Formats: sequence, C-alpha cells, structure tokens
Amino acid sequence: MGLDLLHNLATGFGAAASLNNLGFAFIGCLLGTLIGVLPGIGPIPTIAMLLPITFGLDPLSSLVMLAGIYYGAQYGGSTTSILVNIPGEASSIVTCIDGYEMAKQGRAGPALGIAALGSFFAGCVGTVFIAGFGPPLAAVAQQFNSPDYFSLMVLGLVTAVILAHGSVIKAVGMVLVGLLLGLVGTDVNSGLTRYTFGISEIWDGIDFVPLVIGMFGIVEIIRNLEQTTLPRPHLVARMRDLWPTGKDLRDSWQAVLRGTGLGSILGILPGGGAVLASFASYTLEKKVAKDPTRFGKGAIEGVAGPESANNAAAQTNFIPLLTLGLPSNAVMALMMGAMIIQGIQPGAAVMTKRPDLFWGMVASMWIGNLMLLVINLPLIGIWVRLLSVPYRLLYPAILLFCVIGIYSINTSAGQLTICVVFAVFGYFLLRFGCEPAPLVLGFILGPLMEENLRRSLVISRGDPMVFIERPISATLLATTVVLVLALIVLPQFRRTRREAFQE
Amino acid sequence: MFRIKSPQDAGAAVVFIAIGVAGIYFGSDLRFGSAGSMGPGFFPVILSWTIVGIGVIVGAKALAVEGPRIEPIQLRPILVIVSSILIFGYVIDKVGLAITVALLTILAAFARKWREVSLLETVLLAGGLGVFCVVLFVYALAQPFPAWWGR
Repeated sequence: MGLDLLHNLATGFGAAASLNNLGFAFIGCLLGTLIGVLPGIGPIPTIAMLLPITFGLDPLSSLVMLAGIYYGAQYGGSTTSILVNIPGEASSIVTCIDGYEMAKQGRAGPALGIAALGSFFAGCVGTVFIAGFGPPLAAVAQQFNSPDYFSLMVLGLVTAVILAHGSVIKAVGMVLVGLLLGLVGTDVNSGLTRYTFGISEIWDGIDFVPLVIGMFGIVEIIRNLEQTTLPRPHLVARMRDLWPTGKDLRDSWQAVLRGTGLGSILGILPGGGAVLASFASYTLEKKVAKDPTRFGKGAIEGVAGPESANNAAAQTNFIPLLTLGLPSNAVMALMMGAMIIQGIQPGAAVMTKRPDLFWGMVASMWIGNLMLLVINLPLIGIWVRLLSVPYRLLYPAILLFCVIGIYSINTSAGQLTICVVFAVFGYFLLRFGCEPAPLVLGFILGPLMEENLRRSLVISRGDPMVFIERPISATLLATTVVLVLALIVLPQFRRTRREAFQE
Repeated sequence: MFRIKSPQDAGAAVVFIAIGVAGIYFGSDLRFGSAGSMGPGFFPVILSWTIVGIGVIVGAKALAVEGPRIEPIQLRPILVIVSSILIFGYVIDKVGLAITVALLTILAAFARKWREVSLLETVLLAGGLGVFCVVLFVYALAQPFPAWWGR
C-alpha cells in the first residue's frame, strides 16, 4: 500500500511536471489569483468561460488549469478581504471581519502572510487527503451498481441542498428544475427528442457552457451594475512586513490545524465546499477561543482558520468527483462538464483506466499550491494595484470573455440566445430568492439519474424495492432520510444551519 | 382573501408551478411506459409533477410566513446587457471580431447611467479591447473568427 502510493505519486509527478502541464498549472493559478482578487467575478463563470478553449487541450492539461483557478481563487480572495473589506470571493466573506480589522491596525502584512501560509499548509494536507482517501473510496465505488448510483445521487443532491445557504425547499425545486432541463434533447433510449420545440440548437441537449455563463456570469454583471455605487476598493494600510511575528504564529497554528481538518472533512461532503468550510471554521474558532470578544477586533485566528479551511475544502472537493463521479457543488459540476467534454466519464474508473490523470491532478495540486505561495506573497503589490482598476472598465472585458467563450463553441448566434434566456431566467429566480447552484448540479446529473433509475428498474422488473434490498443503496437512502428528518424534526439542527451562514 | 406575506416565495412558486405544468403538458406526447420499461416520458413527467408539488408548498409558505420583499427590478442594466450580447451574435460574422468587440464595449457602457459614462474613456477602452481580443483569440488561440469584416 505504502509502496503503491509512492509509485502512484511518482506517476503523478511525472505527468504533472511536464513543461506543458506546469505551464497550464501556472496559468490556472495566476488566473485564479486574479479573479480571486477582483470582486465581481468568481471561479464559476471563469471556468465556464474557459471550457470552450479547453476543447483543444489534452485532458490533464485542461483539468490542471481549471482546478488551479478554483483553489487559486481561494488565495486571491483573502487579499481583497483583508485589504479593502470587500470579499474577493464568497469563501472569503468571513475573512473580512478580522482581516480588515487587522489591516486597520497596520497589521495587513501578517494577516496576508498567515492567510497564505495557512492556505499552503491546508492545500498540502488536502492533497494528501485526496491521495489517501481516493483509492479506498474508488474501490468501494467499484462495488456500486445502478440502484446504488441512483441512491448516491439522491443523497448527494439532498446533502447539497441542506448544506447550501438559502431556503431548503426552494433549493429542492431548483435541483428538480435542473434535472428536468438536463433531460432536454434527444433521449438516448428511444431516439426521440424531448422538450426541444423544434429548436435545432438543443437537439443534443442544452449546452452546459451558455447555461452556466448566463446564470452566473451575466447575472453577476447585471446585479453589480444595479448597485448605485459600483464596488470601489479603498485601501487603508500600507504593508510593512509580510511575515507574521512569533506571537502571531503561536496564536494561529492551532487555528490553522483546526481549519484544515474541518475544511478537509466538509470538502468531501456533497454540497460542502470552500464557502461552507470558511463559515464553519470561523464559528468554531469563536467557540473554542479563550476570549471570544477579541473576534471582530482583529483576532488572527479569525483569518488563519477560515483561510485554511476554504483552501483545504477546495482540494478535498475533488474526492467525490474523482472517485464516485458525483460533483458536490457547482464548481465540481463544471469540472465534471470539462471531463465529459474530453470524453472521460468521471468516477472510479478514472483511477484504474487513467491513473496518470488522477495522480497527475493530485500532484499538480501540490505543485500549484507551491506556485500560489510564490505568486501571492512576493507579488502582493501587483495584486493590490489591480484592485484600483474600477469596475466600469472591468465589466465590459468580463462580458466580452463570456460572450466570445460561448460564441466559440460552434461560432453561431444560437448559443448566445440560449445564454440570454438563462441569464434572464436566473436573474428573476435570484430576485425570488432561488440560488442557481442547485440547478446546475441537477442539470449535470439529470441524464445520469434517469439512466441509473431505468437500469435499476429493468433489473428488478419494475419493483422499486430494489433500492432498499441492496445494502449499499439502502444505507445511502437511510442516510438521506435521517438528514431530511433531522431538518424537519430538530429545530436545533435548523438553527445551527441558519447560524452557520449568518455571522 | 389570502394575503401574500412573502412576495419572493410567491414569485418562486409561480415559476415552479409554470415549469412543472409545462413539463407535464409537453411531456404528455411522450410515451410514459411503466416502471419496468420506462418510456421517454416517465422520468420527466414524474419530475414535473414533483416540481408542481414543490411549487404548491412554496406557494403555501408565501401565504403563511412573512418573508422579504422582491428587490425592485431595474430594466436598464438587464436590457442593455442582454441586447448587446444578442447584437454581438448577429454581427460578428459580418463585420469581424475587432469591430464587434468595440461595438459591444460601447453598448455595454450604457448599462450605467448616461451622465456617468465618459465618451473618451469608453472609446479608448473599446479600441484597446478590440486589439487585445483579436490578438488573443484570433492569433494566439486560433479561434475561427474573422478578425476584420468577413476575413
């Protein structure tokens, strides 16, 4: 086992360390830091915009680059939170609280330093988690049959809904609408087209890229423009010294460890991700602190914990996708889309059929975290200066990249029309308090769920008992039921869920 | 009469019920089949009924529980952004990437209030982005767009 792991890691580093893949990892990390720093654009639209460009790359290069954007954004997001009190990313919202306080006290340097060092440590541990947990989980997944997969997806979607913020019942509705949208197009079994209304652009199904760019990228631009004051960064402090003092390190090393542990575990859960991890870590730090009143007044633990947690979660998020083929949040749904575009069905088979791909990604994440440390700490001045670019110059460029990305799918105006439809749809749903992320999860899982349901019921000749007769499936469904019951019956559970997202 | 206590939930309920009903109506042409041999209509129609059910629950909640109001919808940003995307799609193969990019940049500027838009700045940005996009997409990434007019 130990030797196996070494052998596998060697394969991975061999694949990831090619000049080509190092280059793509660097581009991904650089882009990730850039969009992490800039408020108003996040990893979801960025990855969606770049999907069409990855058509021509080899699978490992494209995945390495796209993954770099996700965890790179976790590094960049903290910079904006600490220096200007605007979260560069949703996962850095809590970092604003104590990070900006530290900056006001002239301690922006140590805050940035501990955020980057904590992130690096968490990233390394997260990578080890993937290497350690991946193979055993994949081995379990090899035992899975259609009914088990169906139940796994039910559990995944339910957990995703419970762990996401906002109304649970509306999120369930969005998942179901997503599943339905995922079925649009030609049915593989009967060859009939469903819900296409004679529109040729959607005969093969609704394209993933215009849907995601419309619902995330375009809606985000429109919402930013609606604000009377466009996000305008205001810098408070000059940095003197980036390195945390000995006291800073003594104060924060435990928070880094706790954040890393919490983030690694929350990242594996379906629906868990960088955002949830950072909120949970902040709450935890406040609970275990000897003097909780320091929080909100520049406590370094309030930066170290959440920043470690979000980066750990950004790594371990890949575990369910790479081993079970189950995307746990919208970013992972995009990674799944990228793999499918390359002709790779995510899941346990990736590890056995394409070990270079799995281990290459693991290795690239470690390399990427090292690159990010270098990109972020010495070059911090450049990123800070970027913040002074006003949004009015930024949004035309973001809009252009979105539009050109979609147009390049098949150089026709049709996909742009689809994007516009989903932008308007997503805009109104957001006004009604419905988040788009659950819809995207449902959308990517729709066809898979139908296929596994069909196969299960063919095996059992139409008897739905098949889902509770198989032990794996029964366990998964029982877990789902317990979770749903807990949400309905235990008011305590509901309150904790609400509090975790408030702060 | 009932009073809507949560406008956001009411809006969501209408959307869900509309989508569910549409799913059932347009799915009724598809063969439903049976559990043992699912037709193309089986899964979508069951999903649609569930969506209607969720819509009803959200609607009931809208009447029962107080909730936040719907933020006013500003037409200007959404209309300008949406139409500039559509115009991009319909002119790019006729006038090429450079002009289309410049055009979209200038159009998109007017998603903000008139008096906030500096004409000189917008024109400079349009020119800059035009050159940048042509270099990046046509030359560096070799995307099959015409750079200038139909070429």
